[in-house]
Amino acid sequence: MRLRRHFDHSETTGIDLAPMLDFVLNLLIFFIITAVFTKQMFMPVGRHGGGAGGPAGDEEAGSISVIVKASGEVLVDNRLVDVRAVRANVERLHAQKPEWGVMVTAEQDAEAGVLVQVIDQVRQGDVENVSFGTSSR
Amino acid sequence: MRARRHRGGESGEEHGIDLAPMLDFVLNLLIFFIITTSFVREPGIFVNAAEAETALGDQDANILIAVRSNGEIWMDRRQVDLREVRPLVERLHLERPEDTVIVVADKGAASGLVAEVMDEVKLGGIDEVGLGAATVGGG
Repeated sequence: MRLRRHFDHSETTGIDLAPMLDFVLNLLIFFIITAVFTKQMFMPVGRHGGGAGGPAGDEEAGSISVIVKASGEVLVDNRLVDVRAVRANVERLHAQKPEWGVMVTAEQDAEAGVLVQVIDQVRQGDVENVSFGTSSR
Repeated sequence: MRARRHRGGESGEEHGIDLAPMLDFVLNLLIFFIITTSFVREPGIFVNAAEAETALGDQDANILIAVRSNGEIWMDRRQVDLREVRPLVERLHLERPEDTVIVVADKGAASGLVAEVMDEVKLGGIDEVGLGAATVGGG
């Protein structure tokens, strides 16, 4: 009698964990599959010209002009410079006009790789106010 | 005799594996993956972006749009037309208004197309658009 009572009691109160475990494992598999560990790096840039997006800087304050040509040439303030020299040129101009932003204008067919390098150089020159636009053909 | 068989059942209980530690471990794993999941909308294609030293990675952007050197635009794991970008962005913006966009351009992609894609994204209602870049050293 005693044995019987003990046995019945333990059997009825124990919860069957198997379905819960199945569910939790399924959730786990779902989250493992959807997890993305790579992070895309980016540079925030404004847009100027075109229909959408206003100018990045105060238009009355003016801006330093950087032009990227389709041939890969880069002009800072209408002077032809090397891509790696953009930073120094922008720093110099920015020191003269600290309130000015930088407008990077690319030709339609200019390579995006050069464009990213130029914007990176401008940002290295401590100019946060960078906007990007394209010139018409 | 009957009681004895019951006792045999008891010894069967001893043979069973204790699931509690495993369950703890699995739940911990689950919580870890729930927390780290960010649900990024990947373009579904690899893009060889230019390197930039000042690229940021501390802010989350959830929608990636890839522009390839041959002029193809990829977002949400499929190739899309330039005119499709705006309605797609509008729909994603309605679903989750806090999402931001990164346009990842291949080194050889045309700047004009990148600018047009960025414009379409802004017309679609998302103002925070970044220009994707790789970290120096291929990271």
